[in-house]
Amino acid sequence: MSLRAFAPSSDERVIAGVCAGIAQTLAVDATLVRLVFALLALAGGAGILLYLALWAWAEGKRVWIAGLAAFLAGCALLGALGFSGRSVTGIALIAAGLALAWRQGGSFHPEAPLSYGGIALAALGAVVLLSDGGTSTALLAPGAVAGALLLIGGPWVWRLAMERDVERTARIRSEERSDVAARVHDSVLQTLALIQRDAENPRRVASLARRQERELRGWLYGDQPLGDETASLVAALEAAAGDVEELHGVRIELASAGDCPVDASVQALVLAAREAMTNAAKFAGVEEIDVYLEVTDDAVSVFVRDRGAGFDRAAVPTDRKGLAQSIEGRMERAGGRATIVSGVGGGTEVELHLPRESS
Amino acid sequence: MKRRVVLVDDHDLFLSGVRAELGDAVDVVGQAGSVAEAVPLIVELDPEVVLLDVHLPDGSGDAIINAVAPERPGVKFLALSVSDAAEDVIAVIRAGARGYVTKTISGPELAAAIERVATGDAVFSPRLAGFVLDAFRAGEQVGGDAELDELTPREREVLQLIARGYMYKEIAARLHLSVKTVESHVSNVLRKLQLSTRHELARWATQHRLV
Repeated sequence: MSLRAFAPSSDERVIAGVCAGIAQTLAVDATLVRLVFALLALAGGAGILLYLALWAWAEGKRVWIAGLAAFLAGCALLGALGFSGRSVTGIALIAAGLALAWRQGGSFHPEAPLSYGGIALAALGAVVLLSDGGTSTALLAPGAVAGALLLIGGPWVWRLAMERDVERTARIRSEERSDVAARVHDSVLQTLALIQRDAENPRRVASLARRQERELRGWLYGDQPLGDETASLVAALEAAAGDVEELHGVRIELASAGDCPVDASVQALVLAAREAMTNAAKFAGVEEIDVYLEVTDDAVSVFVRDRGAGFDRAAVPTDRKGLAQSIEGRMERAGGRATIVSGVGGGTEVELHLPRESS
Repeated sequence: MKRRVVLVDDHDLFLSGVRAELGDAVDVVGQAGSVAEAVPLIVELDPEVVLLDVHLPDGSGDAIINAVAPERPGVKFLALSVSDAAEDVIAVIRAGARGYVTKTISGPELAAAIERVATGDAVFSPRLAGFVLDAFRAGEQVGGDAELDELTPREREVLQLIARGYMYKEIAARLHLSVKTVESHVSNVLRKLQLSTRHELARWATQHRLV
């Protein structure tokens, strides 16, 4: 409850300091508060009873005394306002029912039971109130009854809604959980099984672990879902690098600046890069290959570099299709170019360059 | 004289692996598995270099740097992690780490990186070079200090070659520079990375409540 507690004022008190305390809390003049209480006191003694109630409440003891006094104050006030004895009884019963309901389970605690005693009391009060034919209650009664129902039933309805929410959250959680389980099964568990089977082959184990690491990392830290290689060039190159690693037992370090979607010509670039990685893995005789992707506003470049054996371009037989067709020819058809820098003993670097359509 | 090194990582298996890989190259004086453990240990031991995991059970690596730096300004940090998330890496660099290498680095390369960091140079793995080039892409500058917010063409060239997997020596040869000059370019980039208010960096920093 948001009622601000107030302390009876000991400095400015006339009787028990209740009026001064209220005045301080509300930041109004104490005389004004006293005047209100005096007027209320004239209404069948309601002001006196209310004063007692507030005093008992402020003292922090005997809460039931405070409640009872406030209750009586309300009755006195209604009586003084000209309500019939019957309607006062009705309202009193409704109030008592409310009090009971809130005491038993009215707090918005999900476990709280619905208070049948409170409902019964309030219903009885409503019947008494409605059966009173007086004109003074004709307008008031339906409103009072509706308010009472809302106060008693509201928390219960709210609780039901909460429970449904909790249930839904739990369901979403369990769905996410099985999604994670499925992914882990498809990827990590499969890889672990392969590693156990291939335990005799350290190269194979290393490449399996590395491929799995790459995949898991892409899922954990990347924006793109696992296996979606059309939305992201980085993801497509990672997948290509993973394949080459697995097939040839090398390590590929992929660095990137920028990313772009994969269209037909970018796809050609990916295939050319994959061929370059495969060549490096097969012929360079090294364990590690560096790949760097750079996407700028007007071009996409991929560099595939190894520190391996290198080769002399002139000495490559013309019937070897890898370089000429899979890399250079493919890049030219896509509207780009491939530059291959190599020397015997000096390693090789393949540079793939593809202009981007103005976007 | 071997470098005095403290290792901070919560995976025992990895710690013993790193110790074995490094062998006699450095003097591992202590190790810790959490932020709470690491801070007093580093302050007490005052090592030359701390090898730091980016993710720890009770916080991230930059929390250690922020806690230790005021008391032991001489300690150099080198981030060593499997995490590839750009913001994690940038966060630890901006907190003051002198470099970042991935855990797949070989023993001799790691020893060389420790030596480089100990002498005050920066260590950029190809991956970090890629992140930096990405963050400092041309044409996206928003206010701030122009000198800090832009890479010079030369710095860009150096970083590009690092990203392509070139060693400092190879970069020097290719660009007709001395290795020392290459090193100073890299250190400059590190300084810009730590001090720049560039948009992308600011965004990463805000995401990680560094500002």
